Amino acid sequence: MRTVALSLAALVFFGSSAPPRPARDDHGSAMSALADVRAAVAEIVRIEDGYAVGHGAYLRAAHRAMNALVGRRDDGYAPSFGDPGDGIGTLGHLDRMLDQSGSSLWTPAVEGAKANVLAAAASLQSSLGQKEMEDYEADLTQALASLALVVGRATETGVLGGLDGALANTALGVPAGATTVSGCAAPNRAPAYGIVAGRLAYVALPRSSASAGIPNGFAVSRVEVAPAWVVLYAPAARAAIALCRAGSRMRRMRAVAAPGAQPPYTAAQAHAGSAIYRRACLQCHGADLQGAAGPAVAGTEFLTNAQHNKWTLGDMRTTVFENMPFSNPGSLAPQQYADVMAFLLASNCYAAGTQPFPTAAAPTLAKVKLGPIHGARLSNPRLGTCSVR
Amino acid sequence: MLQRTLLLGLLAAFVATVSGVGTARVGAQSAWPSADAYVAADKDSANWILPARNYSGNRYVSGAQITTANVGTLKRAWTANVDARGPLEVAPIVWNGTMYVTSSHNDVYALDAQTGALKWHFPYKPHVIAFSANRGVAIGDGKVYEATLDGHLIALDAMTGKPVWNVVAAHDVSNTFFTMQPVPYKNMLLLGASNGDWGGIGYLSAFDAATGKRLWDWKTIPGPGEPGHNTWSGDSWKRGGGAIWSGLAIDPTTSTVYVDAGNPQPDFLGTTRKGANLYTNSMVAIDISGAQPKIKWYHQFIPHDTHDWDPAMPPVLFTGSVAGSARSLVAAGDKGGNFWVLDAGTGAVVYHLAVSTQKGQNTEPSRKGDIACPNTNGGVEFNGGSYMPDTNAFYVPSVDQCGIWKSQGTATYVAGQFYLGGAFPALYGPSTGYMNAVDIGTGKFLWRKHLAFPQIGGALSMSTGVVFTGGVNGDFTAYDAKSGEVLWHYPTGMTIQAPAGTYTLGGKQFVVIAAGPAGVNFADPRFNKGAPTLEGKYSHPTAAQISAFTLP
Ligand code: HEC
Repeated sequence: MRTVALSLAALVFFGSSAPPRPARDDHGSAMSALADVRAAVAEIVRIEDGYAVGHGAYLRAAHRAMNALVGRRDDGYAPSFGDPGDGIGTLGHLDRMLDQSGSSLWTPAVEGAKANVLAAAASLQSSLGQKEMEDYEADLTQALASLALVVGRATETGVLGGLDGALANTALGVPAGATTVSGCAAPNRAPAYGIVAGRLAYVALPRSSASAGIPNGFAVSRVEVAPAWVVLYAPAARAAIALCRAGSRMRRMRAVAAPGAQPPYTAAQAHAGSAIYRRACLQCHGADLQGAAGPAVAGTEFLTNAQHNKWTLGDMRTTVFENMPFSNPGSLAPQQYADVMAFLLASNCYAAGTQPFPTAAAPTLAKVKLGPIHGARLSNPRLGTCSVR
Repeated sequence: MLQRTLLLGLLAAFVATVSGVGTARVGAQSAWPSADAYVAADKDSANWILPARNYSGNRYVSGAQITTANVGTLKRAWTANVDARGPLEVAPIVWNGTMYVTSSHNDVYALDAQTGALKWHFPYKPHVIAFSANRGVAIGDGKVYEATLDGHLIALDAMTGKPVWNVVAAHDVSNTFFTMQPVPYKNMLLLGASNGDWGGIGYLSAFDAATGKRLWDWKTIPGPGEPGHNTWSGDSWKRGGGAIWSGLAIDPTTSTVYVDAGNPQPDFLGTTRKGANLYTNSMVAIDISGAQPKIKWYHQFIPHDTHDWDPAMPPVLFTGSVAGSARSLVAAGDKGGNFWVLDAGTGAVVYHLAVSTQKGQNTEPSRKGDIACPNTNGGVEFNGGSYMPDTNAFYVPSVDQCGIWKSQGTATYVAGQFYLGGAFPALYGPSTGYMNAVDIGTGKFLWRKHLAFPQIGGALSMSTGVVFTGGVNGDFTAYDAKSGEVLWHYPTGMTIQAPAGTYTLGGKQFVVIAAGPAGVNFADPRFNKGAPTLEGKYSHPTAAQISAFTLP
C-alpha cells in the first residue's frame, strides 16, 4: 500500500485543472511539503550512493537537502548551493498548515512531521561540521531516518502516520475544490470523497476517468466497481465507517471533549524547580531528562508511556511527591515538590499559567490526562522536550 | 488441641510478665531466648523471635485461635505510629510482651505488645545511599540488634534502647548498606550485605553477637582460583553484584544456611560480563558448622541475568509431599516471575512455575529500550510465602507488571552511585497482582486470585486453614487456604509491603502487620485516586503504622 501511495503520488489528479489557489489549501501544502522532502532525500541518497570524493561535494549535498527542507525564509538556508525544492521548503509548507487556528484530525500527524523535519535539519546541520567521513555518514543516515518518519506510512493514522498517513486517512487527502460526501453512505456521484468526522473513507471516480490514476496522496486498501464509478477505499475506511454507527454518540462526545484540562503551574515555579531538579533529580533522570539510572521524565518517550499507562497529572504527582527522590522519598518540602513538578511540566511543553501547581493533593489534577502535546513548540524536537528558563 | 495451645500461650505470657517485672535489666540472660529456644521457636505461640518465626523461614503456626469460622470477627486491637519517611517492611519481633519494630530510616521502637504503647524509641539518622528500607531487628542476651542504611550493626539495650555497641559492618560503606534483619544463630548474628546495584560484591557475614566482632564472610562472587570464577569475563567479577537482601533459612541439624544471592552488575548491560555470572541469582546452601563457611551446593535460577530479576523471596525449608512421597524441599521465588521448589539436600529443581506474566525474557535490554515482563518490582518479592502442611500447599503473592528496559553503552563505577549500565525500567501498562496457592503435590495452582494491585505482603498461614497477606492498596486480607475465598479484610489505608506475624498475649492471639507509605517499591500512581480496596477507599498515606488485630 505504501508503494502505491509513494509511486502514484506524483500522478496528476483527474480533472483538477488547478483552480486559482485559495488562501488555504492544506492538501496542496501537504503535497508540496512531501515534494520538498523527496527532493531532500534524493540529494542525500545520491551522495551516499555515489562515489564523490572531496569534502565539497558532501557539503553541497547536505546544504541542498537542508534548503529543500527549511525553505528560503529560514536562517539555515544557503542560496549559493541551489535548492532542489520549491523554495518554500517542507517547513514553510507545514507551518502554513499549522498556523491555521483550530486543529484537525490530521494536526498531530503534521506536528509529528514537523518535529521530524527539525530533527533531520539538526542532523544535516551537524553533518556540516564533521571532519570524518564516518561521522558525516552517520549524521546523514540519521537525517534519512527522520525524513522517513516525515513521509510516514499510509497504513498508520496519528503521529506515526506522518504526511502519507494523514493524506491517506484524513480529510487532508481531499484536494481543494473537490466534492465531498458523507462517507457513511455509498457514493451518489463521482468524483467525490467520502468523509466521516474528518476521516477519509473512500474516493469515488467516474469509470470513464478512473484510468487517469489514483488521486494524489491516496492509498488504496480495497476497490469496488459499480456500474458508473469505481470506489477506492482508504486504509482507515473500516474505522471511519465504524464511526457512522456510533454517529450520534460521537457527536455528544465531541461536544464534551472540548479543550482538555490544563495542568496548573506558573513560569516562576518552573524556574525555581529547575534548580531543585538539578540538585535532587538530575543524577538519576539526566541533564536532558531522558533518564540515567531512572527512566525519562520528559519528552516524547515519557509522555507516550504516560499516555499508554493512562496516567493523569495526579498520578505523576503521587510518584514525585511520594516516591522521589528514589533515594530519599518525601525528603523535599511540599513547595519544592510543587516547583519541581512545575519544572517537569514546563519541560514537557505544557503552557505556564497563573494558577500555581498546588503543594497539597488536589482532585482536579486527576482530570489532566498526560500524553504527547499537540501544537507544542518543542525546543528539542528529537527528545520532544522544551527548555525551561 | 486448641485448648492445649491456649494454655501454653497463657503460661508463657504469665512467665513473661513475672520475669519482666522482677528482673528488669540485670540477670536478663535467662530472660532471653537460648540457642535451643530459637531452634524450637515454632513451638512457642506466645512469642515471635525470628524474622520468619522459625529457622525454616516458614511463617506458619499450628494450633491458632483464629480459624476460618471466627476470622470474620477479627478487630483491630491497637495501632502505633512510627516514623513515616519511607515504606515499612518490618517483621516485628515479639518477646515477653514487648514488640520491637523499625522504620524505613532505622528508628527502632519497643512497644507494649498488648496495647501498642511506646516503651522506648531509638532515633537514628543514617546517610542514605540508595533508598530507605529496613526489615527489622534481632534480639538476644538483653540486646536488640539492627543493621543500618549506613552500613553499621548496632546493639541496643533491650530495656532502654540505648546503644551498647556500634560497629561498621559493611566493608565499603560508600556502596554497601543493610536492609536485612540480622538472624541470631548460636553465638552469631548472620547478616547479608545490600550492594547489588551500586558496584559492590555481596557477602554473608557472621558477627559475634556479644561484641559485634566479625567472625567470617562468605562472598557471593568467586575470586580468582575459586570454582565458578570462570563464569565471569575479564575483571567483571570485581563489581559483579550478588547482594544478599532478604532473609535466610537454616537447617540447625546440619548447620546449613540457605541463602539467595541477588542479580549481577552492571544490571542491564550483560555484554561487559559474559558468562553465567555465578553465584548471582542463585540459591546457595552453605555449611556454617566450622570456623569458615563452606558451600555445599548452589542452584542458579537465571544465569546471566540482564533484568535485575534476583531471587528476592527468602528461602523456605519444608517437608512436603510430592507425588505422594514426603521430601525435604526448599522454596524460592524470583522477580522474573518464577516460583521454584528445589530438593533441599541437592538443590535439584523439583519444579518451577510462572506466577507472573513473562515476556521478552531472552532479550538483553537495548539502548532504545525493550518491553519485558515482569517489571523490576515484579514477580515474587522480598516477603516470599508460606507452606501449610495441612493443605500441602504453598501460598505466595506475586506482582504482575511490565517495564521498558534500557541499557547504556557502558557502565562506569562511581562510589555511592548506581552501577547499572542502563536505567531502571519505567512501568509499562497495568500494575496488578496475584495471590497464588501452589499445590506442592503436583506443582500446579490449587487456586489463584487476580487482584487489582501488586501483592508483596508475603503470607502467614495457620493450621486452622487461614492465610493472611497484605496488598499494596492497604488491604490486610485473610483467605481460606483451601478455596481462596476471602474470609476477612481490613483496609489499613496505607501500603502493605511487610509480612504479617502472630503472637499470643493475655490469652489472646494477635496478628500484627506494618503499613506505611508506598516508597520506592510500589510507586503505584493509582493511589491518589482513592484506589478500590475490597471495602472503602484507599486513604492517602501520611502515616506509618503497626496494627495488631485480635478476636473480640
Ligand atoms: C537515585 C535515583 C533517583 C533520583 C535521585 C530520582 N529518581 Fe525519579 N525515578 C528513579 C527510578 C529508579 C524510577 C523508576 C522506578 C519507579 O517508578 O519507582 C523513577 C521514576 C520517576 C518518575 C516516573 C517515570 C516513569 O515514567 O515511570 C518520575 C516522574 C520521577 N522519577 C521524578 C523524579 C523527580 C522529580 C526527582 C527529584 C525530586 C527524582 N525523580 C529523583 C530514580 C530516581
